[in-house]
Amino acid sequence: MNKYLLNGLYTFIGVIAIAAFAFKVFQPIQVLPRMRIAPAYSFIDQNGNTIISEDLRGKFVLYSFTYTNCPAPCFNMGDTMKEVQSRLGEVDLGNIPVAFVTISVDPDRDTPDALNTYGTNLGADFDQWMFVTTPNKALLKTIVGSGFETYYEDKGNGEFALDPGYVLVDGWGIIRSEYRYTTEVSDADRILRHLGVLADEVKNSTGSAKLAYEAAHLFLCYAP
Amino acid sequence: MKIKVILSVIVVAVLAAGVYFFRPHTFHGTVIQSPEAAYDFSLTSVNGDVSISDFRGKIVLIYFGYTFCPDICPGTLANVAQALRDMGAQAEDVQLIMVSLDPERDTPEKLAEYMGHFHPSFIGVTGSKEKLDEVAALYGIFYQKAEGSNATGYLIDHTATLMVLDREGYLKLVFPFGVTAEEIADDLKYMIRQ
Repeated sequence: MNKYLLNGLYTFIGVIAIAAFAFKVFQPIQVLPRMRIAPAYSFIDQNGNTIISEDLRGKFVLYSFTYTNCPAPCFNMGDTMKEVQSRLGEVDLGNIPVAFVTISVDPDRDTPDALNTYGTNLGADFDQWMFVTTPNKALLKTIVGSGFETYYEDKGNGEFALDPGYVLVDGWGIIRSEYRYTTEVSDADRILRHLGVLADEVKNSTGSAKLAYEAAHLFLCYAP
Repeated sequence: MKIKVILSVIVVAVLAAGVYFFRPHTFHGTVIQSPEAAYDFSLTSVNGDVSISDFRGKIVLIYFGYTFCPDICPGTLANVAQALRDMGAQAEDVQLIMVSLDPERDTPEKLAEYMGHFHPSFIGVTGSKEKLDEVAALYGIFYQKAEGSNATGYLIDHTATLMVLDREGYLKLVFPFGVTAEEIADDLKYMIRQ
């Protein structure tokens, strides 16, 4: 009987170990990491309306950072945002809404009118894509620099040193992915794929399936 | 043959019990896996300046509220206090800090009196509006004044999440508003055992 129980125990341990190894290697479920809390804010948008971070709870939000007087050649983050916005239909998001927020780091010159013109020239859909800033420069630096971890510096000559990138935040206000801006390859494909991964987790992570998704987080099964 | 069947049932039962009792903990809060320590801030309590890093080695709960809060804040604080009482001696490894979002009315003395009603270990801190704006923003807490009544004065609408930092100062859990004392205690007990 002892041998029987011992064999059963070894089999059990073996099955668990193989299952965990297979889960990590084959990653049947992939997720995006819960990196940190997204900063809270109150901004003014291109229509002069106040937008607060709480307004975007329940939505996937893609953030970008720029300023409208960026001299040529300037990084063009609007192209990727526009491409993602136009291709959202390729991703099964369920009924989860997506919003786009472009934050200007130059509140002195990027008034609501200036942001409105900028967004209009980009062909942005203002119902979904907001262009925002705040005159409180110290708080803007906290939100963008520390909260979104996007470096920028006013050089004093009308130009800003800015490390451009995108930040993806889920409906609970948690930062799930960051993308560094590059000119060689558009991030749109990756961003769209990640939106699909997030939507899958929101839709499927209920009941016993939630354990599997939490295991994916635990085993770092992150979507590339 | 009959003995083998009985033994098989016993083995399966033991294995099933093992799976149940040794199953991984399922957190009630949202688990955060940040590679960076949580933002360390220093604010003022009745006993002087308090930094989050002062409590390294303990599980730190950070809540943003104010003493004139009619229901959400006292409800959450009461749940945490109940959780700590349920945890017994393990509660010594836990420290709750409430950051006041109402520097105009919440003095360090008033905060100390308010927090003491819930649990003797609770600490209330405050600071300048600029500092509070910064701290609240970085913890994802939106807040703004709202109209109240003659009895309450103005109210403050605010994000009501409860943050949990592990012993090394990394944000580990985010509890939504409405988390129960049992759920808080369950997660904290697990974190203390780690």
